[in-house]
Amino acid sequence: MNSLSHLSDAKKERRIVFILLSALLVLFIVSLKSGDINLNIINSLNDIFKGNYSVESLVLYEIRLPRTLLALIIGASLGISGAALQGMLRNPLAEPGVIGVSASAALGAVIVFYFGLSSAFPLALPLGGIAGALLAVILLYTLTGKNSSILTLILAGVAISSLAGALTALALNLAPNPYASLEIFFWLMGSLSDRSFIHVWLILPTTLIGWWLMLSARRGLDALSLGEDTAQSLGVNLAVLNKKIIIGVALSVGAAVSVSGGIGFIGLIVPHLLRPFVGFKPGSLLVISGLAGAVLLLAADITVRLLPTQTELKIGVLTALIGAPFFLHLILKARREWAS
Amino acid sequence: MLRVKNISLSFADTTVLDDVSIEFNAGSVIGLIGPNGAGKSTLLRVLAQLQKPDAGMVEIDGVNAATIASNSFAKKVTYLPQTGVCHWPLTVERLVALGRYPHQDSQQLGDVDMQAIEQAIKETDIEHLVGRTVNTLSGGERARVMLARALATESDILLADEPIVALDPRHQIDVMVLLNALARKGKAVIVVLHELHLAMRYCDSLVLLDNGRKVAEGLPKAVLSVENLQMVYGVDAVYGTNQGENWVLPWSRT
Repeated sequence: MNSLSHLSDAKKERRIVFILLSALLVLFIVSLKSGDINLNIINSLNDIFKGNYSVESLVLYEIRLPRTLLALIIGASLGISGAALQGMLRNPLAEPGVIGVSASAALGAVIVFYFGLSSAFPLALPLGGIAGALLAVILLYTLTGKNSSILTLILAGVAISSLAGALTALALNLAPNPYASLEIFFWLMGSLSDRSFIHVWLILPTTLIGWWLMLSARRGLDALSLGEDTAQSLGVNLAVLNKKIIIGVALSVGAAVSVSGGIGFIGLIVPHLLRPFVGFKPGSLLVISGLAGAVLLLAADITVRLLPTQTELKIGVLTALIGAPFFLHLILKARREWAS
Repeated sequence: MLRVKNISLSFADTTVLDDVSIEFNAGSVIGLIGPNGAGKSTLLRVLAQLQKPDAGMVEIDGVNAATIASNSFAKKVTYLPQTGVCHWPLTVERLVALGRYPHQDSQQLGDVDMQAIEQAIKETDIEHLVGRTVNTLSGGERARVMLARALATESDILLADEPIVALDPRHQIDVMVLLNALARKGKAVIVVLHELHLAMRYCDSLVLLDNGRKVAEGLPKAVLSVENLQMVYGVDAVYGTNQGENWVLPWSRT
């Protein structure tokens, strides 16, 4: 039966992976070159290896390289998490914010700002963010109990999000001085500027564990397309699958938010755009969503650097400006589908 | 090969299964029949390890099913739920391929997997649907695709919850003939049915449930007796023979 030949979609998937990797490579170079100083990458790299610390090499190593790597890592985390959550909840409108992890990570970071710990100890900020994310997961499991339905999970996520949002507003409200509230406010908008390699090393371990957890649940997500009963009867352990994905999202997105602030919509949009390329198989979506998330965030970060605005546009603002209309488009599309 | 022993189960104050014991043999189609709410679907879920009973146990080849690893269990027992949902617009062949899940180590399909998928597609008469996405299928077409998914697993035991409810008469007969053929190959096919005429004709034995209790068990002709149908369903039936086989037709309320 020749018509079954396309069941092995390895070739098609390899092609899309190749395209995304190529785009990533191009954007990587563009990102290293984008900024106020026009630098020659090869010369700067040579300088770094020779230990000759020219201005150009310092700009590359201290500023642009970490910024580029962070965009890549964070974009990938948002993409994989979005795809994993949409697969687990079997809902194309799910995104990392839905389980309350993003808001809680933001709250963790805001608390650090509030007490002024970030100036005394720079790592306090990302650590606070990761702590917030993990606390959200513990709270999520306490609220939902052992055998919880997806609906309880989402409701608990919404409740945790609102609580974290309220506490964040409280911190803004009671901030000790206007400067602190301004600092919090701008941080919440999401940005990748003024980050260094310390941030990269700091989020890498938790991020990688998070990715690994989510990727190990790929096949289970495919089976889950047929509903919980069928997936379970096919041998999927649903409790383990849900745990892997929720903790995976918490670790990777928690780490991401703690360094970049809030960057929305990447996790929502990316899986959507790519789903047709993998025949709607939720498990096959994870890797390419990670790649595409990295591409999209890197492109967005280059854009905010190149836009001739007086103060640099925050990357979270840009993704929201592009993402929100797209979200509306999805709702309208879904409404048409439900109506028919 | 498959046995339920003294299964009891209650939801809140309602007793759904009450001390049910049945032995299912390989090489036969066993029909679970009974009125709505008799506990047929719940019994099937208990057999599939999707529902833990309050008391009693399920045994496969003498082993307590609850102690078998979920993956090994999935290779032995396939469960086909009543309403076949598919949350994403997968193509027919991709959906059928999910039946190979218990046999796979990765997302890649091997030659054996492909053969099983092809065979299942052929047996369920859905070759012409290959390439279509499930959301574009009719209810009956979708039911056959779901059945193909269940067959692709090539397990020894098939548990099917009303697999023919959405089908037209021709496909109802096709599916019952297919289930019968599977049993002849040595599988145990346990199927929940409401179509008593098909239960009479195509099942090797029947189990009649009412209010969570097993009220009769045995050859279709004996189980579908005038008294049983009056007592359990509250209907009178007419009986006859055609080409040497018995038929039954529920006719009026008692």
